[in-house]
Amino acid sequence: MLSLAEVQSRLRNAVVSGDVAAVAPLLVGGQDPSGRLGIHRRHYEASLLAAIMGRFPATSWLVGTPWLEAAAADFVRQCPPTAPCIADYGRAFPAFLAARPGREGVAYLESFSEMDWQLGRLSVAVDLPALDVAVLAAVSPETLLDVVLTVQPGTYYAEAIWPIDELIGLYLSDAAPEQVTLAESPVRIEVRGARGKLRFSRIASGDFRFRLAVSQGTPLGAAAERAALCDRSFDPGRALAALFSEGLVSDMDVTLSGAV
Amino acid sequence: MSPIPRNPTQTGVGLRLPHIEEAVATHPPAGWFEVHPENFVSNPHALELLQDLSARYPISIHSVGLSVGSASGIDRTHLARVRAMVDRIDPILVSGHLAWSTHQGEYLNDLLPLPYTVETLAVVVRHLHEVQDGLGQPFLLENPSCYVGFAGSTMTEVQFLNELVDQSGCRLLCDVSNVHLSAHNMDYDPQAYLNGLPADAVGELHLGGFTLEEDAGTPGRVVLVDTHDTTVAPAAWDLYAHAVTKFGPKPTLIEWDNEIPGLATLLHEAAMADAVIARVLAAEVTRAVTG
Repeated sequence: MLSLAEVQSRLRNAVVSGDVAAVAPLLVGGQDPSGRLGIHRRHYEASLLAAIMGRFPATSWLVGTPWLEAAAADFVRQCPPTAPCIADYGRAFPAFLAARPGREGVAYLESFSEMDWQLGRLSVAVDLPALDVAVLAAVSPETLLDVVLTVQPGTYYAEAIWPIDELIGLYLSDAAPEQVTLAESPVRIEVRGARGKLRFSRIASGDFRFRLAVSQGTPLGAAAERAALCDRSFDPGRALAALFSEGLVSDMDVTLSGAV
Repeated sequence: MSPIPRNPTQTGVGLRLPHIEEAVATHPPAGWFEVHPENFVSNPHALELLQDLSARYPISIHSVGLSVGSASGIDRTHLARVRAMVDRIDPILVSGHLAWSTHQGEYLNDLLPLPYTVETLAVVVRHLHEVQDGLGQPFLLENPSCYVGFAGSTMTEVQFLNELVDQSGCRLLCDVSNVHLSAHNMDYDPQAYLNGLPADAVGELHLGGFTLEEDAGTPGRVVLVDTHDTTVAPAAWDLYAHAVTKFGPKPTLIEWDNEIPGLATLLHEAAMADAVIARVLAAEVTRAVTG
């Protein structure tokens, strides 16, 4: 008998790639046990295909279900999940789609499908209790620039050269016209979601850079510097106050100073 | 509100995401609910709703992703996530499958079969200890639904399960429908299978629907496929009555994972299980009285 690891390697190839030749001699069950492995292979493919299609409904609307299904089927064969939580599967699918031939005319496909995936995440998020701006009173002016804030988990920042938020809005409104002409127009978008509700906002370049940096764990001083570099009118005091007043801050850490 | 029973006598149903808001809103008359933690670990809203339900219903956590049979080891990150959910929900039972689904960092999203050998036994025993230590409580292991076996197996599945119970201290979740299905597919006697299990270790029973399809390479013969997309078959109900006779009434669950119907259908199936238990117990009383 082969080692368990070798048996599992051969079974993995049968399930994911359909290569049953190496495992067939090991099996028993009915007249054609390797044929019965088709039950496992079918389950693997169908369940993951359904997971991807369920995770990219707006993308399916945009590019057509048959094309997306074919892409998803290839993705499932080439990129098995890496963790036993299928809700997380498909994080790499937008980049996979962008590299796939057949929809070169849809220049915004990657950013649109990325937002599609993120909307699924945001729709099941839960807001944590928001901190009041008064917590900053306990921070000395010298250390304020090193403070790291945690933003609400149901927050997503996207920058695109096409108005993908308008396109997603059409999909979500259920009132999409047969044909849409999209003009190139750079957008910076904040999406917030919790308990099934989604809210889209476009924000100015300085605020976008600041909020994106803060959401990535950048200390306040460095985040403000990045914002000021792209928007000379950026006002860090106003931007910081807005983060708190909009309930975006769920935690604050002064001990991570300089760590990011 | 009365305390949550730790050993529910009324049959429960598998709670899937399409039903969770309805369950929170209407408090259906289910004995208990069983959930797959893999559906909740990346869904904070659903977990919040489940926590609400856990104040009113016994909850069981049934993992489909712990993969105790993987030669490449247990996913400790996932085990920690399940533990966090256990701490939050305080389940009455925690269970999983005698199967494998992870292989060198890939998750294959299925419950794949194991050869029953001394090497596999050592691997699964080691992982069961790791899981039980990680979760801080006994783990119930479910017998698989089988379409194939391995020519190199040196033990029957029943012998393998007995060894696992002895060597790991785990308990058993006996999926009666799986026993019926596997016995059909692999040509053995399902009642003899149940009779061979260590009755004291059985802590939960499962029932679910399966479908029939033509067996590859064997014209005219069908293979039973564990689809969980229909009602429990009459033959599985008969085997369930035998299981209740053999093991006594245990917390029983109706599973339905695909083509999920309304909650009323699941509760109807649960009521049928309750009726089987009542019938078996009544027959035992009659037998005792009449000698």
